[in-house]
Amino acid sequence: MNLPMTLRWLKPEFRKHGAAALVSNDSSMGIAPYDDVPVKPPSGYWRWGERRGDGISILIERRAVWVNSGLMIVLMLACIAYLSLGSVILDPRDVVQALAGQGDMMTGFMVQELRLPRLVAACLTGGAFALAGILMQTLARNRLATPGIIGIDNGATAFAVASVVGMSVSLAPSAMALTGAVTAAVLTFGLAAGSGTQGYRFIVAGIGVGAVFGAITQLLLARVAIDTANAAYPWTVGSLNARSGGSVQLLGIGLALGFVVALTLARSLTVLRFSEATASGLGINTSARRIQILLLSVALTALAVAVAGPVGMVGLIGPEIARALSTPRHVPVVAATLAGALVMVLSDLVGRTLLAPIELPVGIVTAIIGGPWLLWILMRPQRSHA
Amino acid sequence: MKVAFIPQRLEQRTLLVLLLTALVAVSVVSLLVGAGSVSPSQAFSMLLGSEDSEAYFVVWELRAPRTLIGIAVGMALGVSGALLQAVARNPLAEPGLLGVSAGAAFAVALALVLGASAASLRISVAQVGALVGCLCVLGVARWRGVGNDPIRLVLAGAAFSALLGAMTSLILLFDQRSADEVRFWVIGSLAGRRLEDLWAVLPSMAFCTVLIALIARPLSALALGERMASGLGHHPQLIRALVVLCVALLVGAATAIAGPIIFVGLVVPFIARAFAGPDIRRTLWFCLPIGPLIILAADIISRVVVSPSELPLGVLTALCGAPVLIAAVRARRLPML
Repeated sequence: MNLPMTLRWLKPEFRKHGAAALVSNDSSMGIAPYDDVPVKPPSGYWRWGERRGDGISILIERRAVWVNSGLMIVLMLACIAYLSLGSVILDPRDVVQALAGQGDMMTGFMVQELRLPRLVAACLTGGAFALAGILMQTLARNRLATPGIIGIDNGATAFAVASVVGMSVSLAPSAMALTGAVTAAVLTFGLAAGSGTQGYRFIVAGIGVGAVFGAITQLLLARVAIDTANAAYPWTVGSLNARSGGSVQLLGIGLALGFVVALTLARSLTVLRFSEATASGLGINTSARRIQILLLSVALTALAVAVAGPVGMVGLIGPEIARALSTPRHVPVVAATLAGALVMVLSDLVGRTLLAPIELPVGIVTAIIGGPWLLWILMRPQRSHA
Repeated sequence: MKVAFIPQRLEQRTLLVLLLTALVAVSVVSLLVGAGSVSPSQAFSMLLGSEDSEAYFVVWELRAPRTLIGIAVGMALGVSGALLQAVARNPLAEPGLLGVSAGAAFAVALALVLGASAASLRISVAQVGALVGCLCVLGVARWRGVGNDPIRLVLAGAAFSALLGAMTSLILLFDQRSADEVRFWVIGSLAGRRLEDLWAVLPSMAFCTVLIALIARPLSALALGERMASGLGHHPQLIRALVVLCVALLVGAATAIAGPIIFVGLVVPFIARAFAGPDIRRTLWFCLPIGPLIILAADIISRVVVSPSELPLGVLTALCGAPVLIAAVRARRLPML
């Protein structure tokens, strides 16, 4: 190959005419100038942006747009229903008016002061749990791996229960839950450190740590009077009753940041689903990415647990819905977050209204919905990894 | 037929004898040491024949049943752990991690809510719950895939335990009386358990012993692989079903007496394999003294470490067992069974 330097970079069909093909716009040379060749987007995608080559254009997956906007609409409807239903049933039109700050004082109070904060907490925790879930599942290549299963929930529960039953009364349970989640995560990280990049060792270390914290929680509950044990009950199953305003704000900020980070990590996530060698070959720094994803997932879970306690299964159901709706081309980060919020809102709605005077904690509702789902995941023939 | 499977090599026999001696010694210590006011020397002189009604009561009425129950529970948990690991061909298979304990706890909670309180009923109920939990996890993790991926089984077990735990909380939400009873039951402990509970589970333990003696040989053939075992004239599916039955009965019995005690079924076969090598039959022999040894030692520690009160045994085994699990998984290569 004795081509001049410039020609080496040209496609073979341009080499005949040499660099002249590039500099002149003369179409008589028989080939269309390079810039005018229409590059069709791959099937299933829209191209958005510059059509003429020298600008930036973005490929948007059509399916993802439909799925995400569909989930968004359903989530909106669920939110309206959440705000209207309850011990007093409101007209959805009044609810919308009250949200805008108009209309009846009483309705306004109920919507803005009573139901809206809880709705916000439900959306945020659901989204955070599901986002953390899909990150962890993609990382571990296992659709059962949620941060809750690997001990973070148990750590949070143990600390929150300790705070409720009076080990350290000065600290609020939600702050303690956050501390506990971080402690469990740090322990797990520390114990699994140096065991290579294989994610599953981290998971088993987490299960071990979780077992220890679970035993401690039970010990604490057995030591105190039944009334105190009942007061700690919401923290053992997960409920939106026990939330505190500050932790919701913290979660809101954390979820907003985490969501952006997750979007920037999304491409690496897609590639990480392949084997280690493939991912490295495609230019992903796998070990750094793994640690980033793990940290993000753990942080989101810790913040959400501080709000709602250990709500299980949302991290399982949300990603599962998202994967079922989306194409397998990408890791559906956005769809999972929306689906998680949707699951949480609907579960809490059911928990509040189903057995009206008694309020079912949202963690129990999600467990009952998620249980059969989990069994179904486990039982059906294995097609592919998460 | 030779009295089979007893280790033939001299050093292993010596080791087994040593372990048995250690077990006897620990049992005696278990009679002597306690959280109460009776000191070891008092108890010792009572054993040698001095008249001391308080020491007599504490040793024979409180500590002796506790020691007996500890021995039975330790044997059951150790052997069932070894069996489960052999049949799942998975060194991480542990009854407590696989939903067996959670199944038993769920069944007990259900029975309590439905109005049961008789000890014998609770035992059988816990056994049925353990059987169902074990079958679910092993069934859904699918026999053939399990050997390839130990983690899969553990994850399935953890997820399933979480589910059963939520169901248990749901039941307890509506019934305060049962909640009050169950919260004491769900931490495994040997304290305050009655000897009648032990008699109630002895028949099923005896049944399991016979069954294990019958299936030990085919089970060790199964370690060669399914085809090889079939070629040797065994029925892999039948053997597995019987082993699962054994495990569920044993763990159900142990859980029913002492509550869920996790990680013993993981640690005991781990140590036993280090002594006995890969043969499941020898491993089972070694599990027999090692299981009670660990349970009794842990129980003694649990009595003295925060005396005058006690740390529940289940908490102590969780604290000690988790590092073993983590160490096992950190090992460069998991031993494939």
